[in-house]
Amino acid sequence: MKIDGEYIFDGPREQVWEVVRDPEVLAAALPGTQKLEQTGENEYEGVMNVRIGPVGGVFSGKVIISDEEPPESLTLTVEGRGNPGFVKGSGRVNLSDQGDHKTLMKYNGDLQIGGRLASVGQRLLDTTSKSMIRQGLEALNDALQAREAARIEGGEVDYTPPTETKFMAAVTKDMFGQMFSSPTAKWVVIAVVLIVIVIAAVILTL
Amino acid sequence: MTKKFIGKRILRNEDPRLLTGGALFVDDVDIPGMLHAAFLRSDYAHAHLRSIDVSAARERPGVVAVITAEDMGDEWQPGPPLVSPPPTVENVLFNSRTQVPLVKDKVRHAGEPIVLVIAESRYIAEDAVEDIIVDLEPLDAVVDLEKALEPDSVLVHDDLDSNLAAHLVQKKGDYATIRENADLLIKRRIVIDRGAAVAMENRGIVAQWDPKSQHLTVWDTTQAPIPIRNGLAARLGLSEHQVRVIAPFVGGGFGPKMMMFYPEEMLIPWISIKLNRPVKWIEDRRENFYATTQEREQIHEAEMALTRDGRILGVSDVILHDSGAYDPYGLTIPLNTQCHAMGAYDVPNFFSEVTVIFTNKTLTTPVRGAGRPQGIFVVERLLDLAAKELGIDPIEIRKRNFIPPESFPYDHQIIDQAFATLIFDSGNYRPALEKAADMIDFEQFVKVDQPRLRAEGRHVGIGIVSFVETTGVGPYEGARVTVEASGKINVATGVGTQGQGHFTSFAQIVAEQLGVDVSDVHLVTGDTSAFHWGTGTFASRGAVVAANAINASALAVRQKILKLASEILEAPEEELELEGGKVRVADVPRISISLGELAVLANPLRGAVEPGTEPGLEATAYFGPKYGGTAFGAHAMIVEVDTETMMVEIKRYTVVEDCGTVINPLIVEGQIHGGVSMGIGNSFYEKLVYDENGQLLNASLADYLIPSATEMPHIEVSHQETQSPLNPLGSKGAGEAGAIPVPSLFAQALEDALYDYDLEIMEMPLSPNRLFELLHE
Amino acid sequence: MRKLTDVGVSVNGTNYNRSVEPRLLLSDFLRHELGLTGTHVGCEHGVCGACTVLFDGKPVRSCLMFAVQANGHEIITVEGLGTIEQLHPLQESFREAHGVQCGFCTPGILTTLIPFLEENPNPDEDEIMHAISGNLCRCTGYQHIVEAVKLAAQKMSPVDEV
Repeated sequence: MKIDGEYIFDGPREQVWEVVRDPEVLAAALPGTQKLEQTGENEYEGVMNVRIGPVGGVFSGKVIISDEEPPESLTLTVEGRGNPGFVKGSGRVNLSDQGDHKTLMKYNGDLQIGGRLASVGQRLLDTTSKSMIRQGLEALNDALQAREAARIEGGEVDYTPPTETKFMAAVTKDMFGQMFSSPTAKWVVIAVVLIVIVIAAVILTL
Repeated sequence: MTKKFIGKRILRNEDPRLLTGGALFVDDVDIPGMLHAAFLRSDYAHAHLRSIDVSAARERPGVVAVITAEDMGDEWQPGPPLVSPPPTVENVLFNSRTQVPLVKDKVRHAGEPIVLVIAESRYIAEDAVEDIIVDLEPLDAVVDLEKALEPDSVLVHDDLDSNLAAHLVQKKGDYATIRENADLLIKRRIVIDRGAAVAMENRGIVAQWDPKSQHLTVWDTTQAPIPIRNGLAARLGLSEHQVRVIAPFVGGGFGPKMMMFYPEEMLIPWISIKLNRPVKWIEDRRENFYATTQEREQIHEAEMALTRDGRILGVSDVILHDSGAYDPYGLTIPLNTQCHAMGAYDVPNFFSEVTVIFTNKTLTTPVRGAGRPQGIFVVERLLDLAAKELGIDPIEIRKRNFIPPESFPYDHQIIDQAFATLIFDSGNYRPALEKAADMIDFEQFVKVDQPRLRAEGRHVGIGIVSFVETTGVGPYEGARVTVEASGKINVATGVGTQGQGHFTSFAQIVAEQLGVDVSDVHLVTGDTSAFHWGTGTFASRGAVVAANAINASALAVRQKILKLASEILEAPEEELELEGGKVRVADVPRISISLGELAVLANPLRGAVEPGTEPGLEATAYFGPKYGGTAFGAHAMIVEVDTETMMVEIKRYTVVEDCGTVINPLIVEGQIHGGVSMGIGNSFYEKLVYDENGQLLNASLADYLIPSATEMPHIEVSHQETQSPLNPLGSKGAGEAGAIPVPSLFAQALEDALYDYDLEIMEMPLSPNRLFELLHE
Repeated sequence: MRKLTDVGVSVNGTNYNRSVEPRLLLSDFLRHELGLTGTHVGCEHGVCGACTVLFDGKPVRSCLMFAVQANGHEIITVEGLGTIEQLHPLQESFREAHGVQCGFCTPGILTTLIPFLEENPNPDEDEIMHAISGNLCRCTGYQHIVEAVKLAAQKMSPVDEV
């Protein structure tokens, strides 16, 4: 599955780089992350709760950072396994200064998905993963701004990461938002609802 | 002799039970103390098994056992090869690798079972499956057939030096030379994708070991209860009579239930003996997409050589066949493909090379058609293209090439799936094709309707194809017919039944011979304790092989009846007739005796049974044809394509079916309708999508689309009966015929409908998406 | 030990009271708890329709419901339609038109058709096909099933020939 996109952060590039390279911030930014520890100079291991629609479960795996060119680009390699299946992939992340305290992040990569996620979750994978990435980046952006604010004011970082529920609600809203923007919205929504029910039933009995 | 029951639309004996929910299917079996099984299956298509941690699963309350390959010790053994390579073909290369009960060192396809969990309920067993931690080291997967043979490809079986499973060449005449003299050569690459059988009932097994009587009973959704019994007895170290296999009502077979010694079939009886408790395993639908066999995937480089008036000089077909991870079923499917790549035609020269390849996908074994649809697709497509180039219409070109009626039996000089020479026993192809064309008003459509509709901008097309189907293969089947004291007739045979109406069609044969009502004939089949010699239901052979065995034993009983009645009624045998459950003197009907009374008299309470005779009115007989009969058919259809949505609507569909003597036309029609619906699925809706990692991306009925009522056209069926000289009933099989020609028909009709796009369809299945891509290429 | 919940449900006119796990599917409850094995399970994801039963008169996928959701409701399964000695006219029609082959999808189709025929006593072929479009059958190709329904409609609400 191809993953690519762009996102604009509200902060200078160096700060964005710091945030991206900080496991604590990352762990906090992606709700469902139960654990994210640095196990090597460029290696992290973690345990994460993942839900793609109603297919969900605990994934454990690792993230390896390589080909770093701070503060411009890096390659992220991900490998995770869990009950719902497995995920493996890598992608390149590029940061460029946009001036005016803004940084443009460009990412593109390839993700291989297998197991239950792949065999019954196909229809949801694309939209949900895009949405999860965007929500995650938004959370990172909030964290970035909180750090910025704390740094300027010299106080504690005042940042509450979104709860898992809020995160998934945002993802769902995102998906429906995308749906309602098209003229065939009604049928797509009905289809999605039906598919979600179908997959819920699959998961119930798997 | 006018037939009273054979050929009649007799209503089915078995229907009331099925209609009221009173028929026993395997999942309906409920035994006190029964345990339930679930499997942990591999997510990866190709991986080294490094370790398994079942400790948490074993501790879960309600879990009785958790078994890995290691736990099986010496009792772990792969399944038996089911079909050996044909001994009658020279230079066959065959690497036999069969499926394993549980993964030991390496996973070879997604869904391969790694751990067996037994618990008090299926719910708890599935919970325990999630407790298990398996460490798998993923490897690159072998998925693409052509890449699989490249020298640097990863190997599915490391002890071989390539992914080659088998190689076989068959020849007739001299194709290489004849093609030099051809006026026209049509050469194409043809790709056919995977499809599944999708019976509505998933597989299931219940095993019960009784230590007191040392007897194992197994209920299995199998099409072959007798070989399963024999194989299980051998594997478990039991005597055959200690094992009873029952195939009760089975919710659709279509081929994969003929595959034997699936991992679950090997494990469930074994574990029930070990645990001394009945064990049930029922496959769920998602498992079915991984753990039950599939079929169809092949790549062809095919060529047809013709004269300028459309006479086929020869066919060459180089085939790559996907075996999946193992090859227990031998070369059955590709041999069928080869045997059908000449179609119904008189083809003097033939060359076909088959290479069978191991891949990291689910095993392939016969699915309705079993390789025949692919062969027919190749020959019909090449012929259609030749027809276009030569400016000959599709009906005419077929007529010019049909094997003429006087040439039967026609020897094709190659070997078929039953290792016999491919001989077509009888046929009369022209009238059947003409009838199909007539039924659909072919000429009227092409000359009048189509031009008119095209002028309105509509994309309507018509297609007509012909096909043959080898059926009724041996080795043999048997049956025992008994007249009971009540006057009812008891019949026992070995073939399993999955909806084909055996309980009725077989009863009709007995009713015909013994002059009783069809509803008074009680059939037992699929139970090895009732009859234990035979093979199973496959290759469209039930109505041929088992029916003829039943006919033979009914005839033997009839002779016993006449002999005894002749003594009792003091009348010569020639003057007796069997009617309404009685034997009577034809001219003096009041002199009669009921069959029931006769049966009692045949079982003397006093007096000895003479040497060379048997008590009772019972006989057992077997029937084993030297080779199978060849059925024929012609299908025609009119379609309309919506070029915006790429949806295809079938406006009309006609079938002419020639399966020799028809025992019950209602049942044959039902088989044709069902076959056509599967064929339509194979043509336009069904495709198993694997990604480059061997992951199946559409493992649910929501994404693997089988036709529903609104996709089906109304099918008009007409019968032609060219009897088979190979058996007394004159019958040929009909079970797979409906499915075989449909992809070729779709291709022809769609090309015709989309005439303004200059389309060539060399692949199956299609879909609205794919059609769109093809039109815009 | 999982917590059990009480379920009181009427099935084919008989009242049953059981204690079950909340996650027990209605299809499993009917088949294994109550022994009414006429309702079949084909996919467990609501697509094939083999598990269809009538829930307060409306067809539902019993594989997509929990038994506890049936508490206080009325269910009709295929066993409630007729017996071998006394087939429902719909069942009779299926037999006469050869609308049954393996029989696995049949109970789900029968229960789907009961309310349909009540609301559409005289359906045409198109309406019948749409009514059963949510029930998958791999054996019959649906043609004889449609014939059976036409026959049943005639039997159940005979249209007088003028």
